[in-house]
Amino acid sequence: MFETIIGGFDLFFSPLAIALTFAGILIGLLVGALPGLGPLMGIILLLPVAISLPPLAGMGFLISIFVGGSCGGAISAILLRIPGTPIAAATLLDGYPMAQKGEASKAIGIALAASSLGGLVGGVVLIVAAPVLAGFASRFAPPEYTMLAITGLLTISLISEGTFVKGLLACCFGLLLSTIGTDEFSTGYRFTFGSHHMLNGFHIVAVVVGLFAISEMTFQMARDDLMDKPKLEIARPSLKAVVQTLRHWKNLLRSSAVGVFFGSLPGAGGDISSFSSYAVAKSFAKPEEKYGEGAEGGVVATEAANNATVGGTLVPTLALGIPGDASSAMLLGALLILGFIPGPEMFLMQPDFVGGLFLVYMASNVMLFFAGILAAPFFIRVLLIPKAYLIPTILILCCIGTFALQGSVFDLMVMLGFGLIGILFRLAKYPLAPIVLGLILGPILEANLRRSLLISRDGYWIFVDRPVAAALIVIDVVILVGFAVVSVRRWRAAKQSCGLDPHMRD
Amino acid sequence: MSSKGAEWAALAFFGALVALVFQQIATSMSEQGIASGGPYDNAASYPRSVAVFMMGLLAVQLVRASFLDTEPQSELRTVAGFRRSVGLLAVFALYLACLNWLGYHLSTTPMAAAVMWLCGLRNVVKAVGVAFILAFSLAFAFEKILNVVLPSGVFSLNIPW
Repeated sequence: MFETIIGGFDLFFSPLAIALTFAGILIGLLVGALPGLGPLMGIILLLPVAISLPPLAGMGFLISIFVGGSCGGAISAILLRIPGTPIAAATLLDGYPMAQKGEASKAIGIALAASSLGGLVGGVVLIVAAPVLAGFASRFAPPEYTMLAITGLLTISLISEGTFVKGLLACCFGLLLSTIGTDEFSTGYRFTFGSHHMLNGFHIVAVVVGLFAISEMTFQMARDDLMDKPKLEIARPSLKAVVQTLRHWKNLLRSSAVGVFFGSLPGAGGDISSFSSYAVAKSFAKPEEKYGEGAEGGVVATEAANNATVGGTLVPTLALGIPGDASSAMLLGALLILGFIPGPEMFLMQPDFVGGLFLVYMASNVMLFFAGILAAPFFIRVLLIPKAYLIPTILILCCIGTFALQGSVFDLMVMLGFGLIGILFRLAKYPLAPIVLGLILGPILEANLRRSLLISRDGYWIFVDRPVAAALIVIDVVILVGFAVVSVRRWRAAKQSCGLDPHMRD
Repeated sequence: MSSKGAEWAALAFFGALVALVFQQIATSMSEQGIASGGPYDNAASYPRSVAVFMMGLLAVQLVRASFLDTEPQSELRTVAGFRRSVGLLAVFALYLACLNWLGYHLSTTPMAAAVMWLCGLRNVVKAVGVAFILAFSLAFAFEKILNVVLPSGVFSLNIPW
């Protein structure tokens, strides 16, 4: 563990890597604060920039956008009662009442400090757990990888927004997208329709930008506040926030643990962890703390959990190559584009790079607090920019960023096409994250499935014969049966409530 | 579009996707000789399995969509908002169609200004001015700093930063 971190010193302690990590934090805070954007959008928009940089500096840039973006949403949640990102939705429960009481600066300061400290707790878990998990996974063979990929896909499909059938359908769509292009085994062409543009399949960035950014901009256009300038108090948080946050140290540690736990589960993400940690903190709180009316502990709980989730999410992403959510899927995609294969192999073959990633993550959480304290008044002023200027800016960024990857206008057409698909899916309440996961894990799943079948001479018993693979099958079955039971119960409850006398229902 | 309408459109999309997979396996992949054999040379087995699984899920979702009459509110609920959203997509599609022909520098400013106008900014000078600054500052960042060559169009317009 220590050798890995020491090995990363040379890579991280370069002016470029440090400067880009700091820049990433500022950009992350900005995209997090602006309602409608968020860490995923920040990563998507700046991915083309990151992959043109040296690997560690580029990944540092993206990881720090993830870290900053997970905290930035608190600023708009506290000041506007509009969470910049869904993961900051729980922060407004106590953050906004604090601002109403004239404590906006204190609330933002506590949010920054709690995020930073929670992120550091997540980082410790990442540094300790990821190498252990990778060491365990290094003994995996194709059957285990096949089942691991299936488990990751199942979990994210089931936990995503919407029903689990919809999640699985979206996941299958992603899996099919990953088969487009040249088959690596037979070198035959699949689903290319004779077009040379399709020989390598769709570029992941074009797909993700379309699905998330174009659809989001389209929905933002439907709102009526495009020219509005909100009225805001310019808050100036201070360094005292660390002391104020550390007064809630038990809450901080407990919420960080909740965040790390949900982060390490594929599909759970920051919004579930922040609401869960808020519920836990509230249950432990004394009545006089008055949760929901501007309790400092409420802000500490949600923000510590948010950023601890990032550390937790990176554990399966780096150690197993199984991303925990859409943002970490994009980080995994970036690693693949940069030529790294996340998983045990990366820990064995490029330990210095892994150590550099750990340092980037820890440093970005330290920088988060100081950058946030210094730049909060600026981010608050940015919230005054009407969306009429932000939407075209993001559209141009989407276009240049996607075009820059391969210099291809075809990628822009793909981006628009997936934008339309994203709009349809969002209207029909289908989750988008499983599509990205399917697209990323599809090649891993297919290659390992076919290798397993080659080893077993086309027999499926290989998945049952091997203990770890068999255990993963049992987990998958338990997950599926559990969700099926919950769905049937919900359906019966809904049916019963519909069958009641309408007057009784009221 | 209502959520229910979108739901049926999404199901039709998935149905068409499954049909396309089987059509491609039967035609293109069969002609290439990669649609049969063992795990190594059967490039059709995996997409076929995914498509079959999708068919099962599709059947379940069809039943759910037919018998559950939930109608969650659509995100594009107001007529004005719907028009703006469609307008944005139309402007953006037109921009992409012109991008290769006119090049980045001639097509991006009008696109950004048109989007601002759609958003309700009626001061044309302000819209064009901001769009111009936006388009060129982002181009500067990518062309000068990251060495990205943006489409130059028929006029071969590239700015020697």
